[in-house]
Amino acid sequence: MTFLIQQTLIYAVPLMIVALAGVFAERSGIINLALEGIMIFGAFIGVLFVQIMQQSGAFDGAKSDGNWLALQGLMLLTMLVTAAAGALFSLLLSFASVNLRADQTIGGTALNLLAPALVLFLIRIIANQNTLYIDGDAASWFMLRKSDLGFSRNTDLGFLGETFLHRVYPATYVCILLFVVLSIILYKTKFGLRLRSCGENPQAADSLGINVYKMRYAGTSISGALAGIGGFVYALTTANCSSNGDVAGFGFLALAVMIFGNWKPLNIAGAALLFGLFKCVAASYTSIDLNGDGVYLLANIPISPHFYRMLPYLITLIVLAFTSKKSRAPKAEGIPYDKGQR
Amino acid sequence: MKEKWSHLMKKDGVKTVAASVISILIGLLVGCIIVIITGLTSGNMDGGSVWDGVRLVLGGILSTGRDASGGLTFGFNPTNVGNMLFRATPLILTGLSVAVAFKTGLFNIGAPGQYLMGTAATLITALSIPTSAVPSPIVWLLAFLAGVLAGALWGAIPGLVKALLNINEVLACIMTNWIAANLVTWIFENSVWCNLEEYGKTNYIYKTTHNGVETARAGLDALFPGSQVNWGIGVAVIIAVLVYVLMTKTTLGYELVACGANRHAAHYAGINDKRNIVLSMAIAGALSGAGAALYWLAGNTEFYWQTYQSLPATGFNGIPVALLAASNPIGVIFTGCFMSMLNIVGQQLTSLTAFNEYITDVIIATIVYLSAFSLVIKLWLSGRKKHKVQPPAVPAASAADGKAEKGGEDA
Amino acid sequence: MDSENVIEMLHITKEFPGIIANDDITLQLRRGEIHALLGENGAGKSTLMSVLFGLYQPEKGVIKKNGQVVQISDPNDATALGIGMVHQHFKLIEVFTVLDNIILGAETTKAGFLQKKEARAKVEALSERYGLKVDLDAKVEDITVGMQQRVEILKMLYRDNEILIFDEPTAVLTPQEIDELMATMKEFAKEGKSILFISHKLNEIMAVSDRVTVLRKGKYIGTVDTKDTDKQSLSDMMVGRSVQLEVHKEPAQPGEAVLSLRDFCVPSRAHKRNAVDHVSFDVRAGEILCIAGIDGNGQTELVYGLTGLEKSSGGTVTLCGEDISHASIRHRGKNMSHIPEDRHKHGLVLDFTLEQNLVLQRYQEKRFQTKGFINRGAVREYANQLIAQYDVRSGQGPVTAARSMSGGNQQKAIIARELDREKPLIVAVQPTRGLDVGAIEYIHSQLVAERDRGRAVLLVSLELDEVMNLSDRILVMYEGEIVGEFDPKQTDVQELGLYMAGAKRAQEKGGRPA
Repeated sequence: MTFLIQQTLIYAVPLMIVALAGVFAERSGIINLALEGIMIFGAFIGVLFVQIMQQSGAFDGAKSDGNWLALQGLMLLTMLVTAAAGALFSLLLSFASVNLRADQTIGGTALNLLAPALVLFLIRIIANQNTLYIDGDAASWFMLRKSDLGFSRNTDLGFLGETFLHRVYPATYVCILLFVVLSIILYKTKFGLRLRSCGENPQAADSLGINVYKMRYAGTSISGALAGIGGFVYALTTANCSSNGDVAGFGFLALAVMIFGNWKPLNIAGAALLFGLFKCVAASYTSIDLNGDGVYLLANIPISPHFYRMLPYLITLIVLAFTSKKSRAPKAEGIPYDKGQR
Repeated sequence: MKEKWSHLMKKDGVKTVAASVISILIGLLVGCIIVIITGLTSGNMDGGSVWDGVRLVLGGILSTGRDASGGLTFGFNPTNVGNMLFRATPLILTGLSVAVAFKTGLFNIGAPGQYLMGTAATLITALSIPTSAVPSPIVWLLAFLAGVLAGALWGAIPGLVKALLNINEVLACIMTNWIAANLVTWIFENSVWCNLEEYGKTNYIYKTTHNGVETARAGLDALFPGSQVNWGIGVAVIIAVLVYVLMTKTTLGYELVACGANRHAAHYAGINDKRNIVLSMAIAGALSGAGAALYWLAGNTEFYWQTYQSLPATGFNGIPVALLAASNPIGVIFTGCFMSMLNIVGQQLTSLTAFNEYITDVIIATIVYLSAFSLVIKLWLSGRKKHKVQPPAVPAASAADGKAEKGGEDA
Repeated sequence: MDSENVIEMLHITKEFPGIIANDDITLQLRRGEIHALLGENGAGKSTLMSVLFGLYQPEKGVIKKNGQVVQISDPNDATALGIGMVHQHFKLIEVFTVLDNIILGAETTKAGFLQKKEARAKVEALSERYGLKVDLDAKVEDITVGMQQRVEILKMLYRDNEILIFDEPTAVLTPQEIDELMATMKEFAKEGKSILFISHKLNEIMAVSDRVTVLRKGKYIGTVDTKDTDKQSLSDMMVGRSVQLEVHKEPAQPGEAVLSLRDFCVPSRAHKRNAVDHVSFDVRAGEILCIAGIDGNGQTELVYGLTGLEKSSGGTVTLCGEDISHASIRHRGKNMSHIPEDRHKHGLVLDFTLEQNLVLQRYQEKRFQTKGFINRGAVREYANQLIAQYDVRSGQGPVTAARSMSGGNQQKAIIARELDREKPLIVAVQPTRGLDVGAIEYIHSQLVAERDRGRAVLLVSLELDEVMNLSDRILVMYEGEIVGEFDPKQTDVQELGLYMAGAKRAQEKGGRPA
């Protein structure tokens, strides 16, 4: 059970944060189809940054001393760097959509093509292979164990403690905190109110003196930053902190989560948990032992692993089929705003 | 000259071609810049190898390797040109696939999945019907049709959910892509079609020549010795012409385009818009499936079936092919050849320099990016300052400035 | 003299590609007056007001407030100068609450967080003081159009605006709501606020304004005191020639019923009730039957259900003796032409050429296709014939892109296409919306001519003048039901208005089948 919850969280949290990335862009009126590409880019920059820090030797001391706080500091720093990278990359989308009134679907597709191409081109030149790894394994650098908190290995922290304090990536909790803070900003602040108005009726917002262009840039940049972080956290927690120009359609799943969650943070958190569970089952069904009796239930059922791998996508399609009639996208999303035509 | 230029620019077709040429030139320029920057910053490359990289990006199709002294040589390379035509074959068809959907107002990003399903159906048919009992041309034809049909069915799925449930076709397409990738792996895993005869080839499916099925190459192999080219390219060109006729000369094409241009007006005129959305996606899928069939029936291609982690680039590259051609089926023939030329360029870069083939993907992505606002480029070309035209448009515009004259002549 | 002008717009010129929307226009607004701005559609009224509100920058001319030259480069500047505007198309966020809409752009915050309590108190006080009743916590999409307008007015008051612009505020209101609005406007003026009132309705201008400035085709015609003028001379100033507002037509000679609706229902997309609720009526050959009503009372849905654009949920439709209640759009089209309400949404494929649009309803006929291949020669020939016959003007004839044509000619193309199909029933929905007087006269005469050829015409219109002039019989629709039937010769606008507003209704529910 502990394993199941931890694994689900590992998939659900990046989904959640990237879906929220989609919300910020779409609520400002820009369809961000490029989430996938931005995640790929964020993952690459994050891995590269960690590798550079490792090679600079700045954290060697902390690593050998087991100074987990310093290592988590490195992780936070990396998250900041990936956020900046994601935001920067997303400027390509906002520039095309806001200033050039481009087709946002095609623009997003271009970024989805560009990210893996650029990333693979650079990885090949940097590492002379198709995958960029950090030195050593991600868990030994960034995973929190109960021993780090001063408990001995044999102490039983109880179910909650074992699940949420032992063998976890604190990056997950940072993401959840970020999710909560940004959701509050979206609904309770002047900035959030104005941002949402631009995705619904930019003409009205403009007539009230709100700069629609700026708001859309802001929405897309926040979106890019979150997707960048999401990409890095995904790489950190599921790919042993490596980058190979691929996040297996995760960005698109996040878009589906966003639609399923009806562009509302609370619903999105729920949807992300559900999808995280499916993803977790797909990825590690052979090692899921629900009641701890050593029987791996799913592994014993003679179904091809490809069926489980297919499941998240299949379920997404089915879920979309059931929810699309009720779902309500921001009214002005995808429509370029032209000041001259108000 | 100036007057002639502005007169020429009034024609919409000319503007479209010029906009595409500008996109290509900017794409190549970006490619060169990245080669130069990475080359100069990486430390283990000198100016000479950077210059080699730039020359190959721009003229890789004419590369004939290196001479004794290690310098790059250029000239007509029949093998490269033959391979370009061979690889253009599926690209033209996936390009047509995306173009037909575009004309109907749909974005078919599902070409990779349709291509995969076409691949599976074609290979299974071509390898399962014994040529000892059925003449091989008949098997070829059946396998081709199986690929077309499988693609059509797979394409119809996002069409159906769009028409009936109003699900965004882009998301539906992406989901069906990944489902196809897993499904195809599942189908081939431990199957009789896996190549068990050659050592280390179990992850590949047999070539269709294993069953004596391949596309005719008569004459072309003599013209382009050492290349993979076959008459599949001829089939692709014929299909492109047929699609052109369908879209512009028939009532069905009129209906499809009407649905794409204004779904409400089409509905008002009694056109069954839902049927047309499904039909358009099915035709798009059939074209992608045909592309897969022609590629794998060549007889000299091997399919790596453990594909569940990746989607075929041929499918995605249909998007730039269609965008560059402004969804014109005849234009797709040329833009398909251009894309496959970039592919050859990438190959040359990998084999002859320290750079790699991914730079061509960067170029392609740049071209798609520019296509997203081709309308702005066209507006700029006609010299019409409609609104206070976007000052930020200047970088793109000024980069194109010097090339515009040239673009016009090409057009 | 100058000091009493609170706002002066001097020699304003604003150009758009191809047209000069405002050509050297001067407008002076005095403190505490209601100043009407009169002009036809396209005369440049809205453009001038957008300049004053900072949405457009003029090429020439200056704006002065209290005698000082001011620069208004965006709505923020306008708000800072105390200028507020109720736009013709409301600028409201449908999914936001009324309160959120009012504070948007002028929020009170503490550390970035919204402080709604103070805002609520202020809005409630304003609402009380002027009798502008609104529900602050309702979402805008759920409230009536009249209340939406009150929200717009409250938005201006919340910002303490002193100069209030009303752009065509009465178009969406019932006659009774219009009276209330007029009273509110007078109240504002009495308090010293200055009001600019844009309209093309002479009655309202005569009733409420102190002075009138008239624009025509982007040019300044003149400013007059309302008390020194009358409707006829204002109308002459507005159109530049004496217009025949009356349509000349002979009395109708109605024949058999062509279309019969019985207990016809169409579901609503917005709410659970029927948008069209058990409606029954007949349209006879050789008559123009007009459906009058305020926008949004089920007229659109009635037409959608009748033409097949949407599914009906009950009742029967009989056309030329055939039950078509569940027939496809194309099947219904065999005996029906349809001039749709929205020419850009339904009427035309804007990216098609004119000739492609002219065969939109008949490309599949034998004449225009052989075995699925379009017969281009026949299409071209037919298009040329229609263009000549209906005087459709365009840059390149049949190959002109529909998008590049003027609104009037786009509408003429639709009229040509629909009338030339020569069907027994013509459904025309707001066929003259947004057109100039010449085009309106032309379309009216065409519809009368069709009637005289023995066709049945079902006209849906929001313009009471059009209803009174054109129809042989009037049905008033209110909240999805027919609430009364009238003979235009025996009724007047006031009576219709009472029925349109739901204040009165005929005894029988749904009106009797006529």
